[in-house]
Amino acid sequence: MSTEVLVFDILAVVAVIAALGVILARNPVHSAVALIVTFINLAAIFVMLHAEFLAAVQLLVYTGAVTVLIVFVIFLVKVDDLPEFYGGNPVQRIFALLIGLALLGEVAAAILTRSAIGASDIWTAEAIADAGGNAEVIGQVLYSEYVLAIQITAVLLLVGTVAALVLARPASATLPDRVKRTGLISLAHPRGADREVAAALPAGLEASRRGETSGVRFDDRGVILVDNAEAFTDQTAWGGDRLEGDD
Amino acid sequence: MVDQPFWITVISAFVVLNVMLIGMAYMTWFERRMLAQMQDRVGPNRTGPFGLLQPIADGVKLLGKEDIIPEHADKRIFLIAPLITFVTAPLIALFIPFGDPVTIAGQEISLAVTDISVAALFVIGISSVGTYGIILGGYASANRYSLLGALRSAAQVISYEIVLGLSLVGVFILSGSLSLVTIVNEQRQALDFFGVEIPNWFIFSQPLAFVLFMIAGVAETNRPPFDLPEAETELTGGFHTEYSGFRWSFYFLGEFIAVIVISLLAATLFLGGIDGPIKDGVWWLLLKTFIFLFFFVWLRATLPRFRYDQLMGLAWKVLLPLTLFNLLLTGFIVLERNGDTNVLGFIRDLLFGWI
Repeated sequence: MSTEVLVFDILAVVAVIAALGVILARNPVHSAVALIVTFINLAAIFVMLHAEFLAAVQLLVYTGAVTVLIVFVIFLVKVDDLPEFYGGNPVQRIFALLIGLALLGEVAAAILTRSAIGASDIWTAEAIADAGGNAEVIGQVLYSEYVLAIQITAVLLLVGTVAALVLARPASATLPDRVKRTGLISLAHPRGADREVAAALPAGLEASRRGETSGVRFDDRGVILVDNAEAFTDQTAWGGDRLEGDD
Repeated sequence: MVDQPFWITVISAFVVLNVMLIGMAYMTWFERRMLAQMQDRVGPNRTGPFGLLQPIADGVKLLGKEDIIPEHADKRIFLIAPLITFVTAPLIALFIPFGDPVTIAGQEISLAVTDISVAALFVIGISSVGTYGIILGGYASANRYSLLGALRSAAQVISYEIVLGLSLVGVFILSGSLSLVTIVNEQRQALDFFGVEIPNWFIFSQPLAFVLFMIAGVAETNRPPFDLPEAETELTGGFHTEYSGFRWSFYFLGEFIAVIVISLLAATLFLGGIDGPIKDGVWWLLLKTFIFLFFFVWLRATLPRFRYDQLMGLAWKVLLPLTLFNLLLTGFIVLERNGDTNVLGFIRDLLFGWI
């Protein structure tokens, strides 16, 4: 038993230190790394509590996916351009404090209530073992009692996916624009998606000429061809946003 | 689940992890020799008989190299990132059952280091943590090629992890468990196939899932033809461009361990693991794993690298629908077999009920 307590102590201390690191680190990437460490330690604590399924979900969903999203956001944000990130705005600070206190209160209330009423008598350790284990019990409860909530969540996720697709779609999908964008993104574009673009070759070529991508044309396979190396490097995609008189 | 003292688990974990490290060292030797054979070359043959001491010589050489840290690098993360890849990869081997429990001096010892009831989910979770080594290493290098490699890796691993996880769900449905020990035991039963007795290996009942798992496994380990995060022709090495010496070799070795682990998993989940025609034991598992290791080297010698948009298109437009189809089919068949529902009648009513 003492080994268990020792391991728990190590995990708990590291989790708390890492959690402090999340809010104290100056660099957002360091915060994200500290968050990963916190999550992994929490997962290990769940394993020690015989909540293996919860631990696996913690690893997969939180550590694996959500933090990848955080890292993505951080890749797209320049750290030096974020003066407000260091908490200069007093209104923001007050709000953060209030929300933090509210969350802390909620967690404390949940823990206190639980210790007041005692452990649940429906799902005791024996009952879970009888039903076949953690994953089985969670599955049974989720897909019987909470089936409506599951379905609503699923629809919500679907809406989120569709919204992401709509956001990722080009705002103006007129043909000249698409021809220009095709020329900007890839020199060997896959067939299919842009066949329409390739079919509208003369008009598209005109548009791409106006967009300073001279020497670029499409052949009938939808592959974009360039006349020479200069035409290749002159495309804006390779030079970023070109300024007037840049050359 | 075998009840054993804590220190026995520690010792068996120590043994498994060290065997993994040795296996990884000789995987590099095996790959170089085998590639050389396939390309009509000789391969490393100077250091020891058949070049068998080459991995040790390489290790010593890499230890002696200078450890360069770029000036603008995010130093702390730069130093830690290779270790994440290197440490997480062999952990998965701790879930693999290497045999039935054995009794030594009256103490029953489990040959799977840990038999967690949701081991299969842990495997996927740990491998997703291992990706952080690549993402953070690419970010911390302060190099555009490295960052591009890291971003490619993030996108690739997220996409293929979905395929990897979903392809296993069919196996979970058939075995009714997420525990690797139970899954192996389920496969050790005999199956009557039109009068011929064949083992109940899931490669026979889930052939599509097996193919999908192998494709996703190759992508997950960043091996050719899916090695886009480190494509040297376009990214000069990708995420490990700025790494040198032993830190670079952590990435290299982590990749080889991941290859061994995926092979072990494929053998355990689809080929019955320790199950064999004569006497069950770890030798069958090793033989099956070896076949998969050869397969990985073979792939590298045979296939050219994918283009990036092809890679993502393959995952989302081909593999994911196939895994979902496999899931649907497996679910229907299991329901029909159990007699829980009249699936065929339901489909008939759905299609022709309006007549």
